[in-house]
Amino acid sequence: MNTNSHGQTLAIAGGVAAAAVLPFLSGNAYLEHLLVLWMLYALLALSLNIVIGYLGELTFGHAAFVGVGAYTSAILSTQFGLPPLLGLPLAGLVAAGFGLVIGYAALRVVGPQFAILTLGFGAILFTITNHWVDLTRGPMGITDIPPMAIGPLAFDSARPTYYLVLALVLATAYLCHALVSSRTGRAFLAVRENAPLAASLGINVFHTKLLGFVAATAIAGIGGAIYAHYIRVITPDIMGVHNVAALIIVVIIGGRGTILGPILGALVYIGLLESLRVAGPLRMVIFAALLTGTVVFLPGGLVSLWQRWRNSNKSENTQPATPTGLPSAEGGAK
Amino acid sequence: MDFTVFAQQIANGLVNGMAYVLIATGLTLVFGVLRIVNFAHGEFYMLGAYITYFVGTLLGLDYIAAAAISAVVVAGLGIAANRLIFWPLRRDHEFTILLSSLGLALLIANGGELLFGADPKYVESPFADEVLDIGTVTLTQQRVLVFAAAVVALIAVYLFIRYSRFGKMMRATAQNPNGAALTGINIKLVHAYTFALACGLAALSGALVGPTVMIFPTIGNWAVLKGFIVVIMGGLGSVTGALFAGLLLGVIESLGGGYISLGFMEAIGYAMIIAVLLWRPHGLFSTARGLR
Repeated sequence: MNTNSHGQTLAIAGGVAAAAVLPFLSGNAYLEHLLVLWMLYALLALSLNIVIGYLGELTFGHAAFVGVGAYTSAILSTQFGLPPLLGLPLAGLVAAGFGLVIGYAALRVVGPQFAILTLGFGAILFTITNHWVDLTRGPMGITDIPPMAIGPLAFDSARPTYYLVLALVLATAYLCHALVSSRTGRAFLAVRENAPLAASLGINVFHTKLLGFVAATAIAGIGGAIYAHYIRVITPDIMGVHNVAALIIVVIIGGRGTILGPILGALVYIGLLESLRVAGPLRMVIFAALLTGTVVFLPGGLVSLWQRWRNSNKSENTQPATPTGLPSAEGGAK
Repeated sequence: MDFTVFAQQIANGLVNGMAYVLIATGLTLVFGVLRIVNFAHGEFYMLGAYITYFVGTLLGLDYIAAAAISAVVVAGLGIAANRLIFWPLRRDHEFTILLSSLGLALLIANGGELLFGADPKYVESPFADEVLDIGTVTLTQQRVLVFAAAVVALIAVYLFIRYSRFGKMMRATAQNPNGAALTGINIKLVHAYTFALACGLAALSGALVGPTVMIFPTIGNWAVLKGFIVVIMGGLGSVTGALFAGLLLGVIESLGGGYISLGFMEAIGYAMIIAVLLWRPHGLFSTARGLR
């Protein structure tokens, strides 16, 4: 086990180092832009993964919180002249506030009802954004959003933004890792696997779920704000069904309930999205087929491929293939 | 308040509501018997409208025949979808089934966009331009047809579930699948035909509503949302609940759109399900498990 964790540390260090030098290898602005998109999707997917992977509830409202964060920061900076750097935590806070209220209401039901309720809340937020023209400029969207800046360092191009989001992704990944190994995180998994049993062990199921939901929405809000200041134009489409589906696809294809999964899923998503640009509408058909195929044939997502391979190797060398690794990866994917 | 306008709004609401009921009935049947919350249900509605359109324009058949063909074809597609996706997953976690139905929905919606093109189409119907006056209320014949055909279809479905041998098998499966299997009911067949019936109903509503609106490949999304609102309000698995909830939603939306704001009309339905789910999480008309 010791060598294993040592190897893991090495692998993580290697991965982070590789991620850090990537922009220098890519060499052109377009690829750097794709790297930013990858990291943004990874960040959003990691936040969605807290709900889908750790809490085991399907939410259709996540894109709405991304939108709330994006609009909060965009409105604060364009209409009130607030520096985007301050807008970022505020976006997280406002999104978390929405998450608290909506989660407080929606987490009273579970399973399909929860999914439909979050779909309803998401649709209401979308409708309001689309029609409250005075505040959000409606379908016209908000343009000329100033780029993020820390003192003299402006995040107005892809490369610095990439490092900013990479740092956030790493922080979120670490947070998820710390969460899963903490008592709270174990409570999350216990609630996911068997809520009544978890309750009988003294876990407050509702509060545990609410905590996870609010954390996820806060990160989604921050991700949305960075997106707004990077792309510099936002429309209500950011909250649309399309984006909801995209985030779910990323998490499921990568592997829900894992940390590497959403990051890997985002890479696959952005990679396919761009490389298949010529295919047009066929792309979404491919993604839908990938989603359905993953659910049916590979419930643990792409990361479980490696785990399967490792397990089958182990069972050759030693005997019984004991399910190791994260307590989550496969058990929860069922 | 002007009474004529009010009556007109109510009539429009009832017509829309009846279409919602037809969509929701399939959704609730599939949940009641197969225990699947089918996010792809709206896509069968979309397919129903499109197949009616294509059978009408390409084969030159009249509207009624096209609608009937589309219902049968979509029912067949439903059998295929159930066989390929939902039947193999029936023992899996609810989460997996939800996700797979979402995947199927995205697959059909985007596949539809690819095949049919994103531009809107009009389903031709001889009744679309003829007007019928009932007292002070004016409706197109097509809208009257939506209401009448939906009523006939719902009565047929009700009688079928209540009195036919297969209907009894469906209800037995809904109450207790294992018990039903033990008494010799072919669960696989019940699942397949229930899913086909639900898809056929969705296609029928698509074919009926099609001529009153423009159709485009994303209407399935709209349909399934309406269906969900109705099903949640009426209680998942309750057919009678869906009837009342659907008509209620139609009328409330119509009055809300007429007297408050058309823009926020969409949000009214969601606000209603949120209220219902918080107040009575199992729907307004729910009692116990099984088909009602």
